[in-house]
Amino acid sequence: MEDNELKNMWKEYDRKIEESKILNLQSWVLNLQAFEYIKTEKAKSKLNALSRQKKWMIALGFVWLFFLIFLIVNSLEFSKAFFIISVGCIALFTLIAIVTYIRHVILIDEIDNSESLVETQEKAAKLQSSTLQTGRILFLQTPFYSTFFWSQQMITDAPLAFWTISFPIAIFFVWLSVWLYRNISFKNVNKKWFKILFSSSEWTSVTKALQYLEEINEFKKERG
Amino acid sequence: MQAKSDKDDLLKLILENKGIILKICNSYCHDKADREDLAQEIIIQLWKSGKGFTPDFKFTTWMYRVALNVAISFYRTGQKQKEVIPLAEGHLNIQDNLLEPFHLEEKSNRLQRYIAELKELDKALILLYFEEKSYKEIAEIVGITETNVSTKLSRIKEKLKQNIDQEKK
Repeated sequence: MEDNELKNMWKEYDRKIEESKILNLQSWVLNLQAFEYIKTEKAKSKLNALSRQKKWMIALGFVWLFFLIFLIVNSLEFSKAFFIISVGCIALFTLIAIVTYIRHVILIDEIDNSESLVETQEKAAKLQSSTLQTGRILFLQTPFYSTFFWSQQMITDAPLAFWTISFPIAIFFVWLSVWLYRNISFKNVNKKWFKILFSSSEWTSVTKALQYLEEINEFKKERG
Repeated sequence: MQAKSDKDDLLKLILENKGIILKICNSYCHDKADREDLAQEIIIQLWKSGKGFTPDFKFTTWMYRVALNVAISFYRTGQKQKEVIPLAEGHLNIQDNLLEPFHLEEKSNRLQRYIAELKELDKALILLYFEEKSYKEIAEIVGITETNVSTKLSRIKEKLKQNIDQEKK
């Protein structure tokens, strides 16, 4: 089969399209003008839904952050040093996540459909998968949930329990959180552990976006 | 905010090039209701993005970019515009004699059926090729190099030909 044959098949189809009509296009478009549709239309796109979801997360993040600050301010004693450092680190990661979410909300507003297909689709997919990127950062705070209750007294009174249980657990969480931070990316989207970790339905759109990002990267590659 | 005369010009250009919208809708949606939803969404997005149009590009290049981006996002997310606020004139009403490509035996529809099986970005490439856009313009719309356009199109055409030839046997 030659290229021309393919083109002729398309032309045959094209003729049918030419016969198609949008029956009320003129009046519909006039209404678009008359009612200033865009002004009143409430954006319903997936990205706007994502923006709303992120704004909620920012609000919740601030509530959590203020609570953590409240705990720190009310515990300013040397004997609570482990608690203050742990909660301070959790607060710091929460703040990083809030800033990341704010940046995402700004980026959502900047998505421009008149950019090239690859640029726009890549930005949209990156934003849809960004929940996972924030998740990576939040995983880093995990070890501090296993250290906030530590105290000098705990180490001196029960050193065996501390060095054989509490300390190894904290080290394990440090290793796990760093490993997750380094490995949660679209490169591992097809790995078994990734699928198990993100198998619930709320992650479906995120993992689909990651797979799409991988597809876009493949598409961009030039192969001879 | 665009001046009224600018908006009038934009809408006139959209109306003149409605064929582009119809072809994109047909390539990305097989269901008539979805095609109408997508056409509506494309026109709204073209209107919204209108102020971003600069004479650096041909109008059709800009229109293809917006329309294909909207179509790919619509297709990918399975988005339906059921929540769109109705206008007095209601929904866009497209009259065509196209049936779902999966149910047709005609040659041109066989081609449509195999195009429908392509990935979203490959579909955009072949659509622009059949629309006789130059490799340079396709590269501008899609955002890859001309060499990459040429390589990918050769592969896609080969795949389409193989599928059609296999069906003939």
